[in-house]
Amino acid sequence: MHPPISPDDLATLIDEGAIAARRLHRKLKLPAADLDDLRQDLLVDLICRLPGFDARRGGIGAFANIVLRNQSSRIAIRHHRQRRAQGGTVISLDAPVSAGTEPLGCVLAEADGLAAWHGQDRSAVDDAETHHDLALALGGLSEDTHGLCAALGTCPVPEIVSRTGISRSALYRHIARLRLDLAMRGFGAEWDGSKAA
Amino acid sequence: MEMFVMHPTAFIPAKPRPLTDIEFCAWIGQAMPGDRLEYHRGFLGIDATAVISTLPEPDRRRLGALASAARRAFEAALVHLVQVRVGPDRFAYLAIARTKPRHAPIPLSQLIATEEAA
Repeated sequence: MHPPISPDDLATLIDEGAIAARRLHRKLKLPAADLDDLRQDLLVDLICRLPGFDARRGGIGAFANIVLRNQSSRIAIRHHRQRRAQGGTVISLDAPVSAGTEPLGCVLAEADGLAAWHGQDRSAVDDAETHHDLALALGGLSEDTHGLCAALGTCPVPEIVSRTGISRSALYRHIARLRLDLAMRGFGAEWDGSKAA
Repeated sequence: MEMFVMHPTAFIPAKPRPLTDIEFCAWIGQAMPGDRLEYHRGFLGIDATAVISTLPEPDRRRLGALASAARRAFEAALVHLVQVRVGPDRFAYLAIARTKPRHAPIPLSQLIATEEAA
């Protein structure tokens, strides 16, 4: 079993954790309230990894520094991924949406989809039109593409690979071609002549 | 005292960015019947073929993908493909949007049901 940690070492870990949390908080430009959560996340991860500390290889401060840096990097990557999924912004239920005074959480209904989180109105009529357009576009695709569309509608890529035996690279080639075919029929990509010029 | 004078540099207009296959397809998706797009200027058969093409390899690959997207769009009856001679061994390759062909709509839910039954 790992020997109990001394009060001095514990103080070092807490200090290092606080510094790393402030650094990450500043880099990610997070709201002030998130600083405590970050510090706790980093400290918990650091304590979980303490059994891997070997005093012969260096001080506990250096060990904490490396662990905190790696965990900060993982948190930052996760955060950027979430931010990209939300269109590059941080969405808070407690903050008002643009041009409003009420918090977002008070404006959203339970049945609202993701688009409502971004202040977009997505009516049932729009949804019906999209379904109609999609059905027309699917009708224009070749027979062999229909099976791929149907499979992609229900299965993730690894499952299709294991079920059909097709290689992953070949599958991605088919998907790239499907993307082009759908773009030809008005789905997925937009053309901006001014940008292309 | 000698003054350092900077001579104005000649104005070089930005080259139009070469078209990619996805941009070409996106144009077809939004084009009205009769709209036209010049998707290449040169000699497509030579420019897109390895070894004989004088284009750098990434450009040649991009052009190959673009040419095959154009052919698929033609086969799907979405565009007419025409070429205009602009000089010796040099052509402007145009895509002219056609009226979108009518196909029987297939709901995705029906496709999925068929796939599961198969």
